[in-house]
Amino acid sequence: MTATPAERRVTRASAVPDVPAFDTAGLDAPVREALAELLLTMADDEFVLGFWDSEWTGIAPMLEEDVAFSSLAQDELGHARVLYEMLAQLTGGDADAIAFGRPVDGYRHCRLLDHPRTDWAFSVARRWLYDTADAVRLGALRRSSFAPLAEVVAKIRREETYHLMHMDVWLRRLAGGGEEPRRRLEDALAKLWPDALSPFAPLAGEHALLEAGILGQPMAELAERHLAQATATLAGLGIALAGGRVTGSPPSTVDGRDRAVPAESFRWLWNEFTMVHRSEEGATW
Amino acid sequence: MGSTADPSVKEEGRRDDAGRQGGGAQADVWEVFRQEKDGDPMRHAGNIRAPDAELATHYARELYSRRQESVRLWVVPRGAIRDLSDPDLLQPPLDRSFKKPGGYVMRDKLDAARRRVSREGSG
Repeated sequence: MTATPAERRVTRASAVPDVPAFDTAGLDAPVREALAELLLTMADDEFVLGFWDSEWTGIAPMLEEDVAFSSLAQDELGHARVLYEMLAQLTGGDADAIAFGRPVDGYRHCRLLDHPRTDWAFSVARRWLYDTADAVRLGALRRSSFAPLAEVVAKIRREETYHLMHMDVWLRRLAGGGEEPRRRLEDALAKLWPDALSPFAPLAGEHALLEAGILGQPMAELAERHLAQATATLAGLGIALAGGRVTGSPPSTVDGRDRAVPAESFRWLWNEFTMVHRSEEGATW
Repeated sequence: MGSTADPSVKEEGRRDDAGRQGGGAQADVWEVFRQEKDGDPMRHAGNIRAPDAELATHYARELYSRRQESVRLWVVPRGAIRDLSDPDLLQPPLDRSFKKPGGYVMRDKLDAARRRVSREGSG
């Protein structure tokens, strides 16, 4: 049975109570387009990280952490759901179609999330880098002139508080956990560091967002803030990321993911998370 | 289903059960108490393993309130609990029915009092 898009929207609206109904009549076309771009990049980031980290379900270092890390991953899918839903309302599309119906090169997640799960230290390092970056980005949206976004961001930030606490614990545990955990953490950070600022890749419509007061500060400014905070935290743990091995390379393109072709690992992940959707296109589940 | 193992994922992320138990063996046990809603008593919820107090609170949160089922949690290291189960202290052998309120015959006195009250009320 296939529901018409209109029917589906009715069902979905009640299923996502966190997305306030909103009127986009007050937004002119360039602002609307830029807002859609912002929502899509943020939603894709949360969505892709959620799927990467859910790869740990069943195999995390201990049972309690397995539950915790899986729960964090689910939270990200929940955030993605709210953001996709908001995007669907803005563009008149369907959230499921946006989330699952795009080709593999249609996703706009940042380059930091184009790495596979790898080992535990790598997943911790990646999530720590992403969560701290995301906190900076969410901070720039909490007083957004687009009230529905400010409202949703306020709720997401409350959940991210716990994510930050948890990842901070793990970063410190691995940094002070003896020779092997420390080495694995440093290796992971070194590998990820060139992509650390990719969540702040400039958006094509960024100027319109800033002008309309939807985004508080330019992405480049947020990237600087994140860089300063992250290096200070790592320096406090005695992890020096300077010295040539690790540098903050600014994003070079404006497609929001700073990479034209997704890495092979993302193709694999996309294949996994779209498998059910592709098995019966248009089905109502 | 058309999926292949991710070629770039090193298998070191995979651990068997023995590996997981190894990590857990260093962890202490913490007892968790939860309050379901404001005003309810704290009830024992279960226990978790965690290597320190910080992770213990995180894991308590994940196992006993990630679906919003609690408004408050107490997380207590099992070692901090004084266990008392000595039968000589808790289940002493001699008859002690005289210590229970059932040892007093109250029924007749209560009936007499009720009769007196109703007489005075109607009179």
